[in-house]
Amino acid sequence: VPRQCGLLCSQNYPLYIRSVPTENELKFHYTVHTSLDVVDEKISAMGKALVDQRELYLGLLYPTEDYKVYGYVTNSKVKFVMVVDSSNTALRDNEIRSMFRKLHNSYTDIMCNPFYNPGDRIHSRAFDTMVNSMMMQVC
Amino acid sequence: MSRSPGRKQENHKISRELFVLTYGALVAQLCKEYEKDEDVNACLDRMGYSIGIRLIDDFLARSAVKKCRSYSETADMIAQVAFKMYLGVTPSVSCNSVTGNEFSLILDKNPLVDFVEELPAERASLCYCNLLCGVIRGALEMVHLAAEVSFLQDRLKGDAVTEIGITFLRKPEDRRHRRN
Repeated sequence: VPRQCGLLCSQNYPLYIRSVPTENELKFHYTVHTSLDVVDEKISAMGKALVDQRELYLGLLYPTEDYKVYGYVTNSKVKFVMVVDSSNTALRDNEIRSMFRKLHNSYTDIMCNPFYNPGDRIHSRAFDTMVNSMMMQVC
Repeated sequence: MSRSPGRKQENHKISRELFVLTYGALVAQLCKEYEKDEDVNACLDRMGYSIGIRLIDDFLARSAVKKCRSYSETADMIAQVAFKMYLGVTPSVSCNSVTGNEFSLILDKNPLVDFVEELPAERASLCYCNLLCGVIRGALEMVHLAAEVSFLQDRLKGDAVTEIGITFLRKPEDRRHRRN
């Protein structure tokens, strides 16, 4: 059974999407886009509490039959969504947290690139490499 | 803003990130203003020159070094003292010519390009750190050494290493004629 996982990095539209393996990519994109709504819901539900926290690990957004979807949002409103196959039960919460932290750090490096314009799609070999190694770990 | 030699360096450190981001913003802005890479490079060189002619006095005051008696000593001084003092890195020095006036500084690490992965495709001839060449050229000029300074290799352009070439242009004058 091919495991599938993927990640999306987005403000209001995707800056970076990756899924492994690439069949069922459309379904994966759909899952990821709908999960952005869930992220928004969670953020507005938290309200004032947001302001004090530096990072927001949102945890499991919602389980579906096939996937578990995790969310994370930075205080600059950049949303990360990770989709993991439901059959992957070995993945622990703190592992997911640390993966999101790595993503956040890599994203910060990209933002510091003077030639990167915020809002552009992300084309970075360093980012790709980091995501690849994370996906190897998870899928 | 005068400093006496031997006075301890005050610990007014500014964050490295701020400096690197400032330099990046400078280059990015120049890229917006000039279409040709050569123009951006020239502008960076001029800015660097303007910094170098001023920085040399700060360097001499803070490092209290003895006068260099040869081009080779000068190149070593630039790499081991100046680069270390201002950028925190120490490039290695090699002499490129039999005549003893051409040197290379090989930069293993370069903080200015911390966040730059590679040059944008449309900027393939950009010498991102050309400011450094101007700084070296300006500083040397103020101690009466004329030199040409340029990037011979650049990791950002795909070369194996980043190499700054310094070519001293005049034979050293007799010591009794040398000032400073």
